[in-house]
Amino acid sequence: MSLEISLGNFYGIDSMLEIGIIIVSLIISYQSRKIYKLIQEKRYNFFAWAFLSVAISFVFKIISNLTIVHRFYIQNVNFVAVIAREFQEMQIIQFFSFILYKVLFITGLLTLFFITTKTEDKEKIFLYIYFGIIAIFLSIYVNFIFHLTVAIILLFLTEYFYHNYKKFKTRNSYLVFLAFLVITISQILFIFSDLNPFIYLLDEILLLSGFIIFLINQFLIKDEKKNKIRSHKRFFAGFKRR
Amino acid sequence: MKKRTKLEVIRDFLLVLKGAEKTRITHLIYKANLSNNSIKPYLEELIKNGLIQNFNESEKRLFSITKKGCAFLEDFNKIRIFSESYGLG
Repeated sequence: MSLEISLGNFYGIDSMLEIGIIIVSLIISYQSRKIYKLIQEKRYNFFAWAFLSVAISFVFKIISNLTIVHRFYIQNVNFVAVIAREFQEMQIIQFFSFILYKVLFITGLLTLFFITTKTEDKEKIFLYIYFGIIAIFLSIYVNFIFHLTVAIILLFLTEYFYHNYKKFKTRNSYLVFLAFLVITISQILFIFSDLNPFIYLLDEILLLSGFIIFLINQFLIKDEKKNKIRSHKRFFAGFKRR
Repeated sequence: MKKRTKLEVIRDFLLVLKGAEKTRITHLIYKANLSNNSIKPYLEELIKNGLIQNFNESEKRLFSITKKGCAFLEDFNKIRIFSESYGLG
C-alpha cells in the first residue's frame, strides 16, 4: 500500500507564507481594537473585526491546504475500507475549511468596504452580503468566481486608499495604498492560478508582500512615539500665542 | 478652518486638562474651542472611558486627566498616524 498526502501545493511552503499573513492581520486588528477601547468609535471596532476575520480565514486556508490529497495509491486491498474512510474525512475537512476561508475572507473585505464607503444602510449591507454568498456558492463549481469577487472588492478598496493617500500625502498612507494595490494584483493573478501551479506560488508571494508592506507600516507607526513630546510642545506654544 | 476629527478634539481636551491640575467646564469650552452643547457628549464619553474624571469642589464641577488619559496623549501620534494611514481619521 502506498499513501502519499502532500502538504498542500508546494509541500506547505504556501502555508508558511500564510502564517505571515495571519500574524500581520492580528497585529493590525489588535492595534485597532486598542484604539476602539480608548475612544469607543465603532469604526475602529469594525476595522479590528475585519482584520481578525481575514486572519481566521487564513487559518482555515492552511487547514484546507494541508488536507489536499494529491496522490493516493492502494496496493493492498485489505486496507481499502480504512483508507477510503480516511480519504473521505480529509476531503470533507478540505471542502469545509476552504468554504470557511472564502466566507471569512469575503466578510473581512466587505467589512472594510463598508467602513471605507461609510455604508450604514441595512438594505445595502444585506444586498452586498447576499452577492457575497452567491459568489461563494458559485465558486464551489467555478473557483475563479471567488478570486474575481475578491479582486473587485479590493479594487474599490485600493481606489479608496489611493484617494486617502492623495488627501494626507504621508509615507504611511502611501504604504497602505501600496499594500492594497499589491494584494489586488495578487487576487487578479489568482484568477489564472488554475492554469499553472507556479502562478499560484507567485500569487501567494505577492499576497504576503502586500501584508509585509502593512507590517512595515505598523513598525513605522510604532517608531512614531519619539515625536510625541515635540507635538505636545507645539500645541501649548499655540495656546501661549493666543 | 479645517474641521477637527474626533481624535483631535479628544487630544485638545486632554491637553487642556494636562496643562492644569483641575479645570472648570467653562475653561474647557474656551480652550478646547467647543460649544456648551457639543462639549457634554465628549465629557460623558471621556469619563465613561476613564480618560478623565470629574469631582465637585466648592460646589463647582471640576475635571482632571487620568493616567489612562495621559497614556492616550503619549500614544496620540501613533493613533493619529494609524487612523490616517487606514483612512479612519
